[in-house]
Amino acid sequence: MNAVEVNNLTKIFKVKTKTQQIKALNNFSLYVKEGNVFGLLGPNGAGKTTLVKTLLGIVFPTSGNAKILGEDISNIKIKERIGYLPENHKFPLFLTGENVLKYYAKLSNMDMNGIEKKIDELLSLVKMKKWKKTKVKNYSKGMMQRLGLAQALINNPDLIFLDEPTDGVDPIGRKEIRDVLANLKERGKTIFLNSHLLSEIELISDRVAILNKGELVKEGTVDEITSNHEIYEITTAQKIDSLIWEKLSSEFNLENLEENQFQVKVENSDKLNELLDVMRKSELKISTVVPKKNSLEDMFISLINEDEEKNKNE
Amino acid sequence: MNNILTITGLTFREAFAKKIFIFFFVMSTIVLLILTGIFSSTDATSLTGVMRVRGPNHQMVGSIVGALKLILLTPLYGLGLFLSIFSASSFIPDMLEKGNIDLLLSKPISRAQIIIGKFFGGSIIVFLNVAYLVFGLWLLLGYNFNDWSLSLLLAALIITFTFMLLYSLMILLGILSKSSVLSMMVSFSIFVVFSPLLAARETFGVLISSEIVKSILNIFYYIIPQTSELGTIMNSVALGKGIENYSPIIVSAIFMLIMISGSIIIFNKKDY
Repeated sequence: MNAVEVNNLTKIFKVKTKTQQIKALNNFSLYVKEGNVFGLLGPNGAGKTTLVKTLLGIVFPTSGNAKILGEDISNIKIKERIGYLPENHKFPLFLTGENVLKYYAKLSNMDMNGIEKKIDELLSLVKMKKWKKTKVKNYSKGMMQRLGLAQALINNPDLIFLDEPTDGVDPIGRKEIRDVLANLKERGKTIFLNSHLLSEIELISDRVAILNKGELVKEGTVDEITSNHEIYEITTAQKIDSLIWEKLSSEFNLENLEENQFQVKVENSDKLNELLDVMRKSELKISTVVPKKNSLEDMFISLINEDEEKNKNE
Repeated sequence: MNNILTITGLTFREAFAKKIFIFFFVMSTIVLLILTGIFSSTDATSLTGVMRVRGPNHQMVGSIVGALKLILLTPLYGLGLFLSIFSASSFIPDMLEKGNIDLLLSKPISRAQIIIGKFFGGSIIVFLNVAYLVFGLWLLLGYNFNDWSLSLLLAALIITFTFMLLYSLMILLGILSKSSVLSMMVSFSIFVVFSPLLAARETFGVLISSEIVKSILNIFYYIIPQTSELGTIMNSVALGKGIENYSPIIVSAIFMLIMISGSIIIFNKKDY
Protein backbone atom coordinates (compact mmCIF):
# COMPACT_ATOMS: atom_id res chain seq x y z
CA MET A 1 0.00 0.00 0.00
CA ASN A 2 1.09 3.55 -0.64
CA ALA A 3 1.53 5.77 2.37
CA VAL A 4 1.37 8.84 0.14
CA GLU A 5 -0.41 9.18 -3.18
CA VAL A 6 -0.34 12.47 -5.02
CA ASN A 7 -2.29 12.76 -8.26
CA ASN A 8 -1.89 15.71 -10.63
CA LEU A 9 -1.59 18.17 -7.80
CA THR A 10 -1.38 21.83 -8.73
CA LYS A 11 -1.00 24.71 -6.33
CA ILE A 12 -1.09 28.28 -7.51
CA PHE A 13 -0.43 31.10 -5.08
CA LYS A 14 -1.87 34.48 -5.88
CA VAL A 15 0.33 37.30 -4.70
CA LYS A 16 -0.47 40.81 -3.59
CA THR A 17 -2.30 42.25 -6.59
CA LYS A 18 -3.94 38.83 -7.25
CA THR A 19 -2.96 39.22 -10.88
CA GLN A 20 0.47 37.75 -10.25
CA GLN A 21 0.59 34.01 -9.77
CA ILE A 22 3.18 31.57 -8.53
CA LYS A 23 2.81 27.96 -9.60
CA ALA A 24 4.32 26.15 -6.63
CA LEU A 25 3.21 22.70 -7.82
CA ASN A 26 2.44 21.89 -11.42
CA ASN A 27 0.38 18.79 -12.13
CA PHE A 28 2.57 16.88 -9.71
CA SER A 29 2.18 13.15 -9.08
CA LEU A 30 4.07 11.01 -6.60
CA TYR A 31 3.74 7.73 -4.72
CA VAL A 32 5.52 6.71 -1.54
CA LYS A 33 5.32 3.10 -0.39
CA GLU A 34 4.62 2.25 3.23
CA GLY A 35 7.75 1.58 5.25
CA ASN A 36 10.01 3.56 2.93
CA VAL A 37 12.25 6.48 3.71
CA PHE A 38 11.48 8.91 0.92
CA GLY A 39 13.72 11.89 0.24
CA LEU A 40 12.41 14.92 -1.57
CA LEU A 41 15.09 17.15 -3.03
CA GLY A 42 14.93 20.45 -4.78
CA PRO A 43 16.43 23.91 -4.82
CA ASN A 44 14.89 26.67 -2.71
CA GLY A 45 11.41 27.51 -3.98
CA ALA A 46 11.03 24.18 -5.80
CA GLY A 47 7.75 23.45 -4.02
CA LYS A 48 8.94 20.85 -1.46
CA THR A 49 7.42 22.53 1.58
CA THR A 50 4.26 23.43 -0.34
CA LEU A 51 3.82 19.75 -1.19
CA VAL A 52 4.11 18.68 2.45
CA LYS A 53 1.86 21.50 3.64
CA THR A 54 -0.73 20.52 1.05
CA LEU A 55 -0.65 16.92 2.20
CA LEU A 56 -1.22 18.09 5.77
CA GLY A 57 -4.07 20.48 4.99
CA ILE A 58 -2.07 23.59 5.87
CA VAL A 59 -2.26 24.73 2.25
CA PHE A 60 -5.18 23.90 -0.03
CA PRO A 61 -4.58 22.47 -3.53
CA THR A 62 -5.77 24.44 -6.56
CA SER A 63 -6.51 21.18 -8.39
CA GLY A 64 -5.73 17.49 -8.18
CA ASN A 65 -6.02 15.21 -5.21
CA ALA A 66 -3.90 13.35 -2.71
CA LYS A 67 -4.22 10.58 -0.17
CA ILE A 68 -2.20 9.80 2.93
CA LEU A 69 -2.40 6.35 4.52
CA GLY A 70 -5.25 5.57 2.16
CA GLU A 71 -7.42 8.51 3.23
CA ASP A 72 -8.15 11.73 1.40
CA ILE A 73 -6.11 14.62 2.78
CA SER A 74 -9.31 16.47 3.72
CA ASN A 75 -9.96 13.85 6.43
CA ILE A 76 -8.70 15.50 9.64
CA LYS A 77 -8.89 12.24 11.60
CA ILE A 78 -6.03 10.74 9.59
CA LYS A 79 -3.67 13.30 11.14
CA GLU A 80 -3.80 11.25 14.35
CA ARG A 81 -1.43 8.85 12.56
CA ILE A 82 0.89 11.51 11.21
CA GLY A 83 3.89 13.29 12.68
CA TYR A 84 5.25 16.53 11.30
CA LEU A 85 8.33 18.58 11.94
CA PRO A 86 8.06 21.85 10.01
CA GLU A 87 11.03 23.86 8.90
CA ASN A 88 11.71 26.72 11.36
CA HIS A 89 9.03 25.53 13.73
CA LYS A 90 8.05 27.65 16.71
CA PHE A 91 6.80 26.23 19.94
CA PRO A 92 4.98 28.33 22.55
CA LEU A 93 8.05 29.79 24.25
CA PHE A 94 6.45 29.86 27.68
CA LEU A 95 6.15 26.06 27.81
CA THR A 96 8.81 23.64 29.03
CA GLY A 97 10.00 20.83 26.77
CA GLU A 98 7.79 18.41 28.66
CA ASN A 99 4.73 20.64 28.38
CA VAL A 100 5.29 21.16 24.66
CA LEU A 101 5.05 17.40 24.18
CA LYS A 102 1.98 17.15 26.43
CA TYR A 103 0.27 19.94 24.51
CA TYR A 104 0.82 18.33 21.11
CA ALA A 105 -0.09 14.91 22.49
CA LYS A 106 -3.44 16.32 23.62
CA LEU A 107 -3.99 17.94 20.24
CA SER A 108 -3.26 14.57 18.61
CA ASN A 109 -6.15 13.08 20.63
CA MET A 110 -3.78 10.77 22.49
CA ASP A 111 -4.74 8.82 25.54
CA MET A 112 -2.96 10.80 28.25
CA ASN A 113 -2.55 7.77 30.54
CA GLY A 114 1.14 6.93 30.61
CA ILE A 115 2.07 10.06 28.68
CA GLU A 116 4.81 10.89 31.20
CA LYS A 117 6.59 7.64 30.37
CA LYS A 118 6.22 8.22 26.65
CA ILE A 119 7.61 11.75 27.00
CA ASP A 120 10.60 10.47 28.99
CA GLU A 121 11.29 7.83 26.33
CA LEU A 122 11.16 10.34 23.51
CA LEU A 123 13.25 12.93 25.30
CA SER A 124 15.84 10.25 26.02
CA LEU A 125 15.77 9.21 22.37
CA VAL A 126 16.58 12.75 21.21
CA LYS A 127 19.00 13.30 24.13
CA MET A 128 16.91 16.04 25.71
CA LYS A 129 15.75 14.45 28.95
CA LYS A 130 17.79 16.70 31.19
CA TRP A 131 16.17 19.77 29.60
CA LYS A 132 12.67 18.45 30.19
CA LYS A 133 11.75 21.08 32.78
CA THR A 134 13.45 23.97 31.00
CA LYS A 135 11.34 26.51 29.13
CA VAL A 136 11.85 26.26 25.38
CA LYS A 137 12.67 29.97 25.18
CA ASN A 138 16.05 28.97 26.64
CA TYR A 139 16.71 26.25 24.05
CA SER A 140 19.34 26.52 21.32
CA LYS A 141 18.46 25.91 17.66
CA GLY A 142 19.76 22.36 17.84
CA MET A 143 17.76 21.65 21.00
CA MET A 144 14.63 23.02 19.39
CA GLN A 145 15.21 20.72 16.46
CA ARG A 146 15.61 17.69 18.73
CA LEU A 147 12.46 18.61 20.63
CA GLY A 148 10.74 19.10 17.27
CA LEU A 149 11.62 15.56 16.32
CA ALA A 150 10.27 14.27 19.64
CA GLN A 151 7.10 16.26 19.01
CA ALA A 152 6.72 14.66 15.57
CA LEU A 153 6.91 11.22 17.21
CA ILE A 154 4.75 11.86 20.28
CA ASN A 155 1.61 10.26 18.80
CA ASN A 156 3.50 7.17 17.59
CA PRO A 157 2.77 8.07 13.95
CA ASP A 158 2.81 5.70 10.98
CA LEU A 159 3.86 8.44 8.58
CA ILE A 160 6.34 11.15 9.52
CA PHE A 161 7.00 14.29 7.52
CA LEU A 162 10.30 15.94 8.37
CA ASP A 163 11.19 19.27 6.79
CA GLU A 164 14.92 19.92 7.15
CA PRO A 165 15.19 17.86 10.35
CA THR A 166 18.92 18.40 10.82
CA ASP A 167 18.85 22.14 10.26
CA GLY A 168 20.97 23.79 12.95
CA VAL A 169 22.11 20.48 14.41
CA ASP A 170 25.82 19.72 14.84
CA PRO A 171 27.41 16.74 13.04
CA ILE A 172 27.08 14.45 16.07
CA GLY A 173 23.46 15.46 16.46
CA ARG A 174 22.87 14.78 12.77
CA LYS A 175 24.25 11.30 13.12
CA GLU A 176 21.98 10.74 16.12
CA ILE A 177 18.96 11.95 14.18
CA ARG A 178 19.89 9.65 11.28
CA ASP A 179 20.06 6.77 13.76
CA VAL A 180 16.62 7.66 15.09
CA LEU A 181 15.26 7.67 11.55
CA ALA A 182 16.91 4.32 10.80
CA ASN A 183 15.31 2.91 13.95
CA LEU A 184 11.91 4.24 12.89
CA LYS A 185 12.34 2.63 9.50
CA GLU A 186 13.12 -0.70 11.14
CA ARG A 187 9.84 -0.35 13.01
CA GLY A 188 7.99 -0.04 9.70
CA LYS A 189 7.35 3.70 9.78
CA THR A 190 7.18 5.68 6.59
CA ILE A 191 9.39 8.75 6.58
CA PHE A 192 9.00 11.60 4.13
CA LEU A 193 12.11 13.71 4.28
CA ASN A 194 12.57 17.19 2.84
CA SER A 195 16.16 18.27 2.90
CA HIS A 196 18.73 20.17 0.97
CA LEU A 197 21.49 18.16 2.68
CA LEU A 198 21.95 15.73 -0.18
CA SER A 199 24.52 13.59 1.59
CA GLU A 200 22.00 12.84 4.32
CA ILE A 201 19.24 11.96 1.90
CA GLU A 202 21.72 9.70 0.12
CA LEU A 203 22.56 7.91 3.36
CA ILE A 204 19.08 7.08 4.59
CA SER A 205 16.56 7.25 1.73
CA ASP A 206 15.15 4.24 -0.08
CA ARG A 207 13.77 6.40 -2.85
CA VAL A 208 14.42 9.95 -3.89
CA ALA A 209 12.53 12.48 -5.97
CA ILE A 210 13.94 15.67 -7.39
CA LEU A 211 11.57 18.56 -7.68
CA ASN A 212 12.16 21.80 -9.57
CA LYS A 213 9.72 24.65 -10.11
CA GLY A 214 6.85 22.50 -8.92
CA GLU A 215 7.56 19.66 -11.34
CA LEU A 216 9.03 16.22 -10.84
CA VAL A 217 12.42 16.07 -12.54
CA LYS A 218 13.41 12.52 -11.59
CA GLU A 219 12.39 9.81 -9.18
CA GLY A 220 13.93 6.49 -8.24
CA THR A 221 16.25 4.75 -5.82
CA VAL A 222 19.47 6.53 -4.94
CA ASP A 223 21.33 3.95 -7.08
CA GLU A 224 19.09 4.55 -10.06
CA ILE A 225 19.53 8.27 -9.82
CA THR A 226 23.27 8.30 -9.23
CA SER A 227 24.20 5.66 -11.83
CA ASN A 228 25.51 7.10 -15.06
CA HIS A 229 24.79 4.79 -17.97
CA GLU A 230 27.09 6.58 -20.36
CA ILE A 231 30.33 6.17 -18.45
CA TYR A 232 31.65 2.78 -17.25
CA GLU A 233 34.68 1.82 -15.27
CA ILE A 234 36.30 -1.38 -16.59
CA THR A 235 38.83 -3.39 -14.63
CA THR A 236 40.89 -6.16 -16.18
CA ALA A 237 42.58 -9.10 -14.50
CA GLN A 238 45.96 -8.17 -15.90
CA LYS A 239 47.89 -5.06 -16.88
CA ILE A 240 46.77 -3.68 -20.26
CA ASP A 241 49.47 -3.87 -22.87
CA SER A 242 50.35 -0.52 -24.51
CA LEU A 243 49.65 -1.82 -28.01
CA ILE A 244 46.21 -3.03 -27.03
CA TRP A 245 45.59 0.25 -25.23
CA GLU A 246 46.46 2.20 -28.37
CA LYS A 247 44.19 0.05 -30.46
CA LEU A 248 41.28 0.46 -28.03
CA SER A 249 41.91 4.19 -27.66
CA SER A 250 41.75 4.72 -31.36
CA GLU A 251 38.25 3.24 -31.54
CA PHE A 252 36.72 4.27 -28.23
CA ASN A 253 36.61 7.26 -25.92
CA LEU A 254 38.83 5.99 -23.09
CA GLU A 255 40.46 7.51 -20.06
CA ASN A 256 43.17 5.61 -18.25
CA LEU A 257 42.75 5.33 -14.50
CA GLU A 258 45.27 2.67 -13.46
CA GLU A 259 47.35 0.09 -15.30
CA ASN A 260 44.48 -2.42 -15.22
CA GLN A 261 41.58 0.02 -15.03
CA PHE A 262 40.09 2.60 -17.37
CA GLN A 263 36.96 4.60 -17.96
CA VAL A 264 34.95 4.58 -21.20
CA LYS A 265 32.26 6.91 -22.43
CA VAL A 266 29.75 5.21 -24.74
CA GLU A 267 26.58 6.34 -26.48
CA ASN A 268 24.69 3.13 -25.77
CA SER A 269 25.02 -0.45 -24.53
CA ASP A 270 25.77 -1.76 -28.08
CA LYS A 271 28.88 0.36 -28.17
CA LEU A 272 29.87 -0.96 -24.74
CA ASN A 273 29.43 -4.58 -25.92
CA GLU A 274 31.48 -3.77 -29.01
CA LEU A 275 34.32 -2.63 -26.74
CA LEU A 276 34.05 -5.73 -24.57
CA ASP A 277 34.20 -7.94 -27.70
CA VAL A 278 37.36 -6.20 -28.88
CA MET A 279 38.89 -6.66 -25.41
CA ARG A 280 38.06 -10.39 -25.36
CA LYS A 281 39.52 -10.84 -28.86
CA SER A 282 42.65 -9.16 -27.53
CA GLU A 283 42.66 -11.81 -24.79
CA LEU A 284 42.09 -9.29 -22.03
CA LYS A 285 40.32 -10.87 -19.07
CA ILE A 286 37.56 -8.55 -17.85
CA SER A 287 37.09 -8.48 -14.08
CA THR A 288 34.38 -5.83 -13.65
CA VAL A 289 32.25 -3.46 -15.70
CA VAL A 290 30.62 -0.91 -13.45
CA PRO A 291 28.54 2.09 -14.48
CA LYS A 292 30.19 5.16 -13.06
CA LYS A 293 28.47 6.45 -9.95
CA ASN A 294 27.98 10.11 -9.43
CA SER A 295 27.32 11.55 -6.04
CA LEU A 296 23.72 12.54 -5.48
CA GLU A 297 24.95 16.10 -5.34
CA ASP A 298 26.52 15.85 -8.82
CA MET A 299 23.36 14.33 -10.24
CA PHE A 300 21.16 16.84 -8.47
CA ILE A 301 23.06 19.79 -9.90
CA SER A 302 23.21 18.21 -13.34
CA LEU A 303 19.47 17.38 -13.39
CA ILE A 304 18.45 20.80 -12.15
CA ASN A 305 20.68 22.49 -14.74
CA GLU A 306 19.24 20.29 -17.50
CA ASP A 307 15.73 21.13 -16.35
CA GLU A 308 16.52 24.86 -16.30
CA GLU A 309 17.93 24.62 -19.86
CA LYS A 310 14.84 22.74 -20.99
CA ASN A 311 12.58 25.38 -19.46
CA LYS A 312 14.56 28.15 -21.16
CA ASN A 313 14.20 26.53 -24.55
CA GLU A 314 10.47 25.97 -24.17
CA MET B 1 -14.56 19.44 22.63
CA ASN B 2 -11.22 18.22 24.04
CA ASN B 3 -9.37 20.10 21.34
CA ILE B 4 -11.23 23.32 22.16
CA LEU B 5 -10.31 22.89 25.82
CA THR B 6 -6.66 22.28 24.89
CA ILE B 7 -6.54 25.51 22.88
CA THR B 8 -8.39 27.35 25.65
CA GLY B 9 -5.90 25.96 28.16
CA LEU B 10 -2.94 27.10 26.09
CA THR B 11 -4.45 30.59 25.81
CA PHE B 12 -4.59 30.61 29.62
CA ARG B 13 -0.95 29.62 29.87
CA GLU B 14 -0.10 32.32 27.33
CA ALA B 15 -1.94 34.87 29.46
CA PHE B 16 0.01 33.74 32.52
CA ALA B 17 3.29 33.86 30.62
CA LYS B 18 2.55 37.33 29.30
CA LYS B 19 1.81 38.39 32.89
CA ILE B 20 -1.72 39.39 31.92
CA PHE B 21 -3.22 37.79 35.01
CA ILE B 22 -0.64 39.32 37.32
CA PHE B 23 -1.05 42.72 35.71
CA PHE B 24 -4.85 42.63 36.05
CA PHE B 25 -4.60 41.29 39.58
CA VAL B 26 -2.15 43.98 40.66
CA MET B 27 -4.13 46.77 38.97
CA SER B 28 -7.42 45.55 40.43
CA THR B 29 -5.88 45.13 43.87
CA ILE B 30 -4.46 48.66 43.75
CA VAL B 31 -7.88 50.03 42.78
CA LEU B 32 -9.55 48.08 45.59
CA LEU B 33 -6.94 49.17 48.14
CA ILE B 34 -7.36 52.82 47.14
CA LEU B 35 -11.13 52.49 47.51
CA THR B 36 -10.67 50.78 50.89
CA GLY B 37 -8.53 53.72 51.96
CA ILE B 38 -11.08 56.24 50.72
CA PHE B 39 -14.01 54.46 52.35
CA SER B 40 -12.24 54.09 55.68
CA SER B 41 -11.17 57.73 55.82
CA THR B 42 -14.56 59.28 55.04
CA ASP B 43 -17.63 59.46 57.21
CA ALA B 44 -18.82 56.22 55.68
CA THR B 45 -19.28 54.81 59.18
CA SER B 46 -22.22 57.07 59.87
CA LEU B 47 -23.65 56.22 56.48
CA THR B 48 -23.18 52.55 57.25
CA GLY B 49 -25.01 53.00 60.51
CA VAL B 50 -27.96 54.53 58.72
CA MET B 51 -27.88 51.74 56.15
CA ARG B 52 -27.81 49.01 58.79
CA VAL B 53 -30.68 50.56 60.72
CA ARG B 54 -32.92 51.50 57.87
CA GLY B 55 -31.92 49.03 55.20
CA PRO B 56 -30.50 49.59 51.70
CA ASN B 57 -33.75 51.00 50.33
CA HIS B 58 -33.55 54.11 52.34
CA GLN B 59 -34.02 56.74 49.68
CA MET B 60 -31.23 59.18 50.47
CA VAL B 61 -28.56 56.62 51.32
CA GLY B 62 -29.64 54.45 48.43
CA SER B 63 -29.11 57.38 46.09
CA ILE B 64 -25.68 58.03 47.52
CA VAL B 65 -24.61 54.39 47.15
CA GLY B 66 -26.13 54.29 43.65
CA ALA B 67 -24.18 57.38 42.65
CA LEU B 68 -21.08 55.83 44.16
CA LYS B 69 -21.58 52.69 42.09
CA LEU B 70 -21.91 54.77 38.94
CA ILE B 71 -18.83 56.82 39.81
CA LEU B 72 -16.85 53.63 40.29
CA LEU B 73 -18.26 51.45 37.54
CA THR B 74 -18.12 53.88 34.63
CA PRO B 75 -14.33 54.34 34.70
CA LEU B 76 -13.85 50.66 35.59
CA TYR B 77 -15.86 49.69 32.52
CA GLY B 78 -13.59 51.84 30.35
CA LEU B 79 -10.37 50.80 32.04
CA GLY B 80 -11.33 47.12 32.18
CA LEU B 81 -12.14 47.01 28.49
CA PHE B 82 -9.08 49.05 27.56
CA LEU B 83 -6.76 46.64 29.38
CA SER B 84 -8.62 43.60 28.10
CA ILE B 85 -8.38 44.69 24.46
CA PHE B 86 -4.72 45.52 24.96
CA SER B 87 -3.89 42.18 26.55
CA ALA B 88 -5.85 39.98 24.12
CA SER B 89 -4.76 41.70 20.93
CA SER B 90 -1.79 39.42 20.32
CA PHE B 91 -3.51 36.06 20.87
CA ILE B 92 -4.47 35.52 17.21
CA PRO B 93 -1.46 37.14 15.45
CA ASP B 94 0.93 35.15 17.69
CA MET B 95 -0.89 31.93 16.88
CA LEU B 96 -0.67 32.68 13.15
CA GLU B 97 3.11 33.07 13.18
CA LYS B 98 4.90 30.90 10.66
CA GLY B 99 6.19 27.73 12.26
CA ASN B 100 3.52 27.85 14.96
CA ILE B 101 0.39 27.70 12.83
CA ASP B 102 1.91 24.97 10.61
CA LEU B 103 2.29 22.71 13.60
CA LEU B 104 -1.17 23.46 14.92
CA LEU B 105 -2.85 22.78 11.58
CA SER B 106 -0.95 19.51 11.15
CA LYS B 107 -2.80 18.10 14.15
CA PRO B 108 -6.23 16.46 14.05
CA ILE B 109 -8.06 19.63 15.03
CA SER B 110 -10.47 21.58 12.86
CA ARG B 111 -9.82 25.22 12.15
CA ALA B 112 -13.21 26.11 13.67
CA GLN B 113 -12.14 24.44 16.94
CA ILE B 114 -8.98 26.56 17.01
CA ILE B 115 -10.95 29.80 16.63
CA ILE B 116 -13.57 28.78 19.19
CA GLY B 117 -10.85 27.68 21.63
CA LYS B 118 -9.06 31.02 21.29
CA PHE B 119 -12.35 32.92 21.64
CA PHE B 120 -13.34 31.11 24.82
CA GLY B 121 -9.81 31.28 26.21
CA GLY B 122 -9.60 35.06 25.82
CA SER B 123 -13.14 35.59 27.11
CA ILE B 124 -12.68 33.45 30.22
CA ILE B 125 -9.39 35.19 31.05
CA VAL B 126 -11.09 38.59 30.89
CA PHE B 127 -14.09 37.34 32.86
CA LEU B 128 -11.90 36.06 35.69
CA ASN B 129 -9.95 39.29 35.87
CA VAL B 130 -13.04 41.50 35.73
CA ALA B 131 -14.90 39.24 38.18
CA TYR B 132 -12.12 39.69 40.75
CA LEU B 133 -12.39 43.47 40.52
CA VAL B 134 -16.19 43.59 40.56
CA PHE B 135 -16.40 41.04 43.37
CA GLY B 136 -13.91 43.08 45.40
CA LEU B 137 -15.94 46.20 44.77
CA TRP B 138 -19.11 44.39 45.83
CA LEU B 139 -17.46 43.28 49.08
CA LEU B 140 -16.25 46.82 49.77
CA LEU B 141 -19.65 48.38 49.15
CA GLY B 142 -21.37 45.65 51.13
CA TYR B 143 -19.03 45.96 54.08
CA ASN B 144 -19.01 49.74 54.16
CA PHE B 145 -22.61 50.50 53.22
CA ASN B 146 -24.37 47.25 53.96
CA ASP B 147 -25.49 47.13 50.33
CA TRP B 148 -25.24 43.45 49.40
CA SER B 149 -27.31 43.75 46.28
CA LEU B 150 -26.19 40.98 43.89
CA SER B 151 -27.08 43.05 40.85
CA LEU B 152 -23.67 44.73 41.03
CA LEU B 153 -22.01 41.39 40.28
CA LEU B 154 -23.79 41.28 36.93
CA ALA B 155 -21.52 44.13 35.84
CA ALA B 156 -18.75 41.53 35.43
CA LEU B 157 -20.88 39.61 32.95
CA ILE B 158 -21.74 42.71 30.94
CA ILE B 159 -18.13 43.91 30.80
CA THR B 160 -17.10 40.42 29.65
CA PHE B 161 -19.90 40.39 27.07
CA THR B 162 -18.73 43.75 25.73
CA PHE B 163 -15.19 42.44 25.58
CA MET B 164 -16.37 39.32 23.72
CA LEU B 165 -18.05 41.58 21.20
CA LEU B 166 -14.83 43.50 20.53
CA TYR B 167 -12.69 40.35 20.77
CA SER B 168 -14.74 38.66 18.03
CA LEU B 169 -13.90 41.63 15.80
CA MET B 170 -10.23 41.43 16.86
CA ILE B 171 -10.15 37.75 15.90
CA LEU B 172 -11.48 38.52 12.43
CA LEU B 173 -9.05 41.41 11.96
CA GLY B 174 -6.20 39.27 13.33
CA ILE B 175 -6.90 36.54 10.78
CA LEU B 176 -7.17 39.04 7.93
CA SER B 177 -4.15 41.17 8.81
CA LYS B 178 -2.05 39.14 11.31
CA SER B 179 -1.55 42.50 13.01
CA SER B 180 -2.21 42.94 16.71
CA VAL B 181 -1.75 46.71 16.39
CA LEU B 182 -4.43 47.04 13.72
CA SER B 183 -7.01 44.97 15.60
CA MET B 184 -6.26 46.90 18.78
CA MET B 185 -6.58 50.28 17.07
CA VAL B 186 -9.87 49.41 15.37
CA SER B 187 -11.31 48.09 18.64
CA PHE B 188 -10.23 51.20 20.56
CA SER B 189 -11.65 53.43 17.83
CA ILE B 190 -15.01 51.72 18.05
CA PHE B 191 -15.04 51.69 21.82
CA VAL B 192 -13.74 55.21 22.43
CA VAL B 193 -14.91 57.15 19.37
CA PHE B 194 -17.51 55.59 17.07
CA SER B 195 -19.84 53.90 19.52
CA PRO B 196 -20.23 56.97 21.83
CA LEU B 197 -20.67 59.24 18.80
CA LEU B 198 -23.27 57.04 17.17
CA ALA B 199 -25.06 56.55 20.47
CA ALA B 200 -25.41 60.33 20.65
CA ARG B 201 -26.50 60.65 17.00
CA GLU B 202 -29.99 61.78 17.96
CA THR B 203 -28.58 64.54 20.14
CA PHE B 204 -26.38 66.05 17.49
CA GLY B 205 -28.80 64.92 14.77
CA VAL B 206 -30.67 68.24 15.14
CA LEU B 207 -27.66 69.86 13.50
CA ILE B 208 -27.90 67.54 10.48
CA SER B 209 -30.49 68.50 7.92
CA SER B 210 -29.84 65.73 5.37
CA GLU B 211 -32.04 62.67 5.81
CA ILE B 212 -29.50 60.59 3.87
CA VAL B 213 -26.76 61.41 6.37
CA LYS B 214 -29.12 60.57 9.23
CA SER B 215 -29.95 57.22 7.58
CA ILE B 216 -26.26 56.46 7.10
CA LEU B 217 -25.59 57.22 10.75
CA ASN B 218 -28.48 54.93 11.70
CA ILE B 219 -27.06 52.12 9.58
CA PHE B 220 -23.64 52.55 11.17
CA TYR B 221 -25.25 52.62 14.57
CA TYR B 222 -26.66 49.14 14.02
CA ILE B 223 -23.55 47.76 12.31
CA ILE B 224 -20.89 48.97 14.73
CA PRO B 225 -20.75 47.33 18.19
CA GLN B 226 -22.89 49.30 20.63
CA THR B 227 -20.40 49.43 23.47
CA SER B 228 -21.76 52.72 24.85
CA GLU B 229 -25.25 51.32 25.17
CA LEU B 230 -23.85 48.22 26.84
CA GLY B 231 -22.12 50.51 29.34
CA THR B 232 -25.45 52.19 30.05
CA ILE B 233 -27.09 48.78 30.48
CA MET B 234 -24.33 47.76 32.88
CA ASN B 235 -24.97 50.83 35.03
CA SER B 236 -28.67 50.21 35.01
CA VAL B 237 -28.26 46.54 35.96
CA ALA B 238 -25.73 47.37 38.69
CA LEU B 239 -28.22 49.77 40.24
CA GLY B 240 -30.83 47.02 40.24
CA LYS B 241 -33.03 48.73 37.66
CA GLY B 242 -32.92 45.86 35.21
CA ILE B 243 -32.64 46.14 31.43
CA GLU B 244 -35.08 48.50 29.74
CA ASN B 245 -33.90 47.99 26.18
CA TYR B 246 -32.56 44.62 25.03
CA SER B 247 -31.86 45.83 21.51
CA PRO B 248 -28.12 46.61 22.08
CA ILE B 249 -27.61 43.14 23.55
CA ILE B 250 -29.37 41.42 20.66
CA VAL B 251 -27.59 43.52 18.03
CA SER B 252 -24.26 42.87 19.75
CA ALA B 253 -24.87 39.13 19.98
CA ILE B 254 -25.69 39.02 16.26
CA PHE B 255 -22.56 41.06 15.51
CA MET B 256 -20.48 38.65 17.58
CA LEU B 257 -21.93 35.62 15.82
CA ILE B 258 -21.25 37.18 12.41
CA MET B 259 -17.67 38.03 13.37
CA ILE B 260 -16.91 34.54 14.72
CA SER B 261 -18.61 32.80 11.78
CA GLY B 262 -16.77 35.09 9.35
CA SER B 263 -13.48 34.36 11.12
CA ILE B 264 -14.06 30.61 10.85
CA ILE B 265 -15.05 30.82 7.17
CA ILE B 266 -12.01 32.92 6.25
CA PHE B 267 -9.63 30.88 8.43
CA ASN B 268 -10.95 27.71 6.77
CA LYS B 269 -9.93 28.98 3.36
CA LYS B 270 -6.52 30.45 4.13
CA ASP B 271 -3.19 28.90 3.24
CA TYR B 272 -0.44 29.08 5.85
